[in-house]
Amino acid sequence: MNVLITGASGGLGRAFAMECAGRGCNLFLTDINEDGLSPLKNGLERRYGVCVKAKACDLTSEESVGELLNVIDSCGIRFDMLLNIAGIDFEGGFMERDRSSVLKIVSLNVEATLRITHAILQRRREGEKFSIVFVSSLASMYPMPLKATYAASKRFLLDFALALRQELREQNVNTLSLCPGGLATTQEAISGIMAQGFWGDITTNRLESVTRRTIDLVQRGKSLYIPGTVNRALSLFGKLVPRPVIAFIIYWRWKNTQKKWLCTSSD
Amino acid sequence: MKTVIITGATSGIGFATARKLAGNGFAVIGIGHSRVNCENAKARLLGENPKAEITYFEAELMQQREVGRLADELERYISVHCGGELHALINNAGCVRSYYTTTEEGYEQQFALNHLASFLLTYRLLPYLKRAGGRIIMTCSNSHRGQKMHWDDVMLKKGYNPLTAYKQSKLCNILFARGLNDRFASGGVRAYAVEPGLVKTDIGNKETGGLVNLIWTLRKRHGVSPDVPAETFAYLCGEESNPCGLYYRGSREEKYSSEVTRESAERLFRLSEKLCGICYSEEAVL
Repeated sequence: MNVLITGASGGLGRAFAMECAGRGCNLFLTDINEDGLSPLKNGLERRYGVCVKAKACDLTSEESVGELLNVIDSCGIRFDMLLNIAGIDFEGGFMERDRSSVLKIVSLNVEATLRITHAILQRRREGEKFSIVFVSSLASMYPMPLKATYAASKRFLLDFALALRQELREQNVNTLSLCPGGLATTQEAISGIMAQGFWGDITTNRLESVTRRTIDLVQRGKSLYIPGTVNRALSLFGKLVPRPVIAFIIYWRWKNTQKKWLCTSSD
Repeated sequence: MKTVIITGATSGIGFATARKLAGNGFAVIGIGHSRVNCENAKARLLGENPKAEITYFEAELMQQREVGRLADELERYISVHCGGELHALINNAGCVRSYYTTTEEGYEQQFALNHLASFLLTYRLLPYLKRAGGRIIMTCSNSHRGQKMHWDDVMLKKGYNPLTAYKQSKLCNILFARGLNDRFASGGVRAYAVEPGLVKTDIGNKETGGLVNLIWTLRKRHGVSPDVPAETFAYLCGEESNPCGLYYRGSREEKYSSEVTRESAERLFRLSEKLCGICYSEEAVL
């Protein structure tokens, strides 16, 4: 099975790469961070003996994606799975961020995800089952003050994935949205979880089991995976309580948390 | 003057050992992962012992490329300043993690730092150790007893338990020491594992969260000063001829797990070679 992973050298991407390699998949890795790709390629090949290709790519650039596709096409690779992991978040109020970083959230999380998804769907293995994972977020369930753009971008993915799934169902394509709460992917993420204290702790999911279960579920044809009981309860809460009320509650809580944690970015 | 290298030498057991060995007349090369910590450690050591020969190098040993870079720098330094001889390498740097987190290679961090980093650094420095009939010493722990190797999943991806990962990494330390002896003791180098006892250090409070942090904060209260295990390192470095045991506490041999067999040591050695992309039998000849 051939799998393409975007954002492969980040914490979540690496965990997915390890999970897929452990299942014997051959991998095509891409990330904007070129330095992270070759150690990961080495690690995967040494540990699992699978075939790994890697190429750095800025998914927000049409030109860069074109180069990536050239490599794929010149090798004649056809895919069975696409893991859309690349994404970005800048914390903080809308007006406290400069314009380019706000727009960057949309251009990477939404636009770039559509670009690569469209391209790889055209390069799926003929007549076989194809799976796509979109990394959405628990944040997609609510309007989130102080994470407004991020949460909305993740909402886009959630709705898009479900609609695309229906469109391509007859062609044996399945999409799944992964909506995790906290994930202990990087040191910044862990310090963010710690800043949220008790709530951070109970909404945090184990990276190694989330990746395993995501792959299981997407292959079984599921459309949504919210890891953890607490997170599932919180998402239900998002459906029952009027949205303006939710926005109020979230704002009240995040305002205090962010004072403790002024970490800027995670991807 | 005999040279020793100590990893994780800016605090805890590594720092106490650096102080002790500097006092005993060794030239000490310390490794730490932040510049500020290295500078502070060096200043403190020189403050107590102005004539001591102390050098610090920075490296994030968890990442293999950093080990490679550090080894390049150390090779140059040892060749120029130490006559190409290294008397001892103390693989002490270690960490505890609350969550399953990975290095650049995708390797679990406790396994990567507590074991693989030592494995790779030792490989690179072995020629210099051989020249001096040197010693390789791991900071191990009695917590390795009662732990088995999870051979089918060494990085514990299927159900990560921080404590199991830690204990297994400590079992790796003593298995690695055993594996080195099986291969190289006849060539004059000798490897040891040290049981430090329960020591009052911050290992369980660095970059950990929640439960792990809390438990270690409570547990370390009962610990001894890092100067206690430093005595063990001083003994192993200071003896004229290489002591012939494997596992030490103070100047006495300590009982170790029955899991430490030639077969397991060999198996870990092969696996680690694979994960580091190296082969000890093809090591560079000076």
